[in-house]
Amino acid sequence: MHETGTPAAVGSASSATCAIKLDLFEGPLDLLLHLIRENEMDVAELPVSEVADQYVAYLDVMQELQLDIAAEYLVMAATLTWIKSRLLLPPSDEGEEEEGPDPRAELVARLLEYERFKEAAEQLGEFTREGRDVFKAAVPEVAPTPEAEREIEVSLLALLDAFRKVLARVPAGPGLHEVEADRVTVYARMRAIMDQVGSFEGSLAFEQLFDTPGGERPSRALVVATFLALLELVRVSALRVYQGMREDGVPAGPIRLRRSDEGADEWRRRIAEDPREVEGL
Amino acid sequence: MERSQQKQIVEALIVAAGEPVSAARLAEIVPGLDASDVAGLVAELRGEYEAQGRALEIWEVAGGYQLRTAASVAPYLRLLHRERAVRLTRAALETLAVIAYRQPVTRAEIERVRGVDAGPVLKSLVDRKLVRIAGHREVPGRPLVYATTKRFLETFGLPKLDDLPTLREVEELLPPPEGAAASVTPLDADTGEAIEPSPPPSELH
Repeated sequence: MHETGTPAAVGSASSATCAIKLDLFEGPLDLLLHLIRENEMDVAELPVSEVADQYVAYLDVMQELQLDIAAEYLVMAATLTWIKSRLLLPPSDEGEEEEGPDPRAELVARLLEYERFKEAAEQLGEFTREGRDVFKAAVPEVAPTPEAEREIEVSLLALLDAFRKVLARVPAGPGLHEVEADRVTVYARMRAIMDQVGSFEGSLAFEQLFDTPGGERPSRALVVATFLALLELVRVSALRVYQGMREDGVPAGPIRLRRSDEGADEWRRRIAEDPREVEGL
Repeated sequence: MERSQQKQIVEALIVAAGEPVSAARLAEIVPGLDASDVAGLVAELRGEYEAQGRALEIWEVAGGYQLRTAASVAPYLRLLHRERAVRLTRAALETLAVIAYRQPVTRAEIERVRGVDAGPVLKSLVDRKLVRIAGHREVPGRPLVYATTKRFLETFGLPKLDDLPTLREVEELLPPPEGAAASVTPLDADTGEAIEPSPPPSELH
């Protein structure tokens, strides 16, 4: 192994550690710059003969550690070897050596270029950063109305129609052996709906009202009580029922429920005063 | 309208806006306020915050004014906003630097400068809205060109792109990359549709 100091820094056992160490370099140009600095040389002078060997030694270590070496590193190794060989060739007799461009020129230019951006990146990294050093004073966002929610209030007819569809999906009624059905009251459903709507940002789909906690099919009694509860909540203005509107103004899309703030406050007052609340119906 | 009242409204607007709000916009809203007076009012507000030892500062970033918390309280806000931390790797910073100074710039040009594949980093920068696809370079293959966003200016606390420090000049300047002078078809920042005819792509405010 060539003595560069850097490979030694890599020489840890676990591949996770190696991957992290390898991240020290942002690519072949970065590694080259590092090696030039190690040799205390000037980039413009590009000490190819020293650096090429050290570079290859570095790749050897990476290989020994069974790291994947990105193709870019290998291309650079080839470039360095090529330049080195060009520099070793004896100048041809025919005055050509005066004209021939320095084989290092292009690489030097790229290194200088990269170095500028590397410095710029370091500067950028030290800027006061929003989200790290300073934070914008975040006032809760006023959510813009999504286009799908240009809504109109739903007519009773549309609501009834939706209700019929839900009802059609539930069993017609208790079977012969009537197991004690859940005691469902309209009042309890009103409270449940308000809890459900209250826990949502925005709106709730009509169908979600009939979801049961366990995901099983709701009983007919539950569906009916829920619907009556909904109607009552709309009547006391605790809820508003909306539906999307097409461009031409025709109601379309799912029916959604939203709390109506003034009515909801009123509702809360009524709950607080209502003795049935205490009985836990 | 009284100047003190104007100042109060300007303060309220900057607080409520969250995003940087421009002097022109403020002047539009506040009765009798001229855009050229905004800087003065903001300076007064800043002075008051400072005199009172408030944790808030008004910054001029991305073409507008924005209320921000002072750097001295950053450690506490980092605890509050753990998920919002803006972490940028060296690769991300270098790529951002190339784009910031060279925009609009193609992926190949970025890769040429950095000597490594730019794909994943570019994607993450675009996802984080620090960089956007600004259009196509009108050369064979019509490669996409990338530019920085308003969010970039905001993140790095820059009023405008010109406020980036100048890139250190070097003796050896590379010839401009091939096709760099070719025209660019810009894409709409929101829809990604090509905009015709092409305004200059670096319309960063």
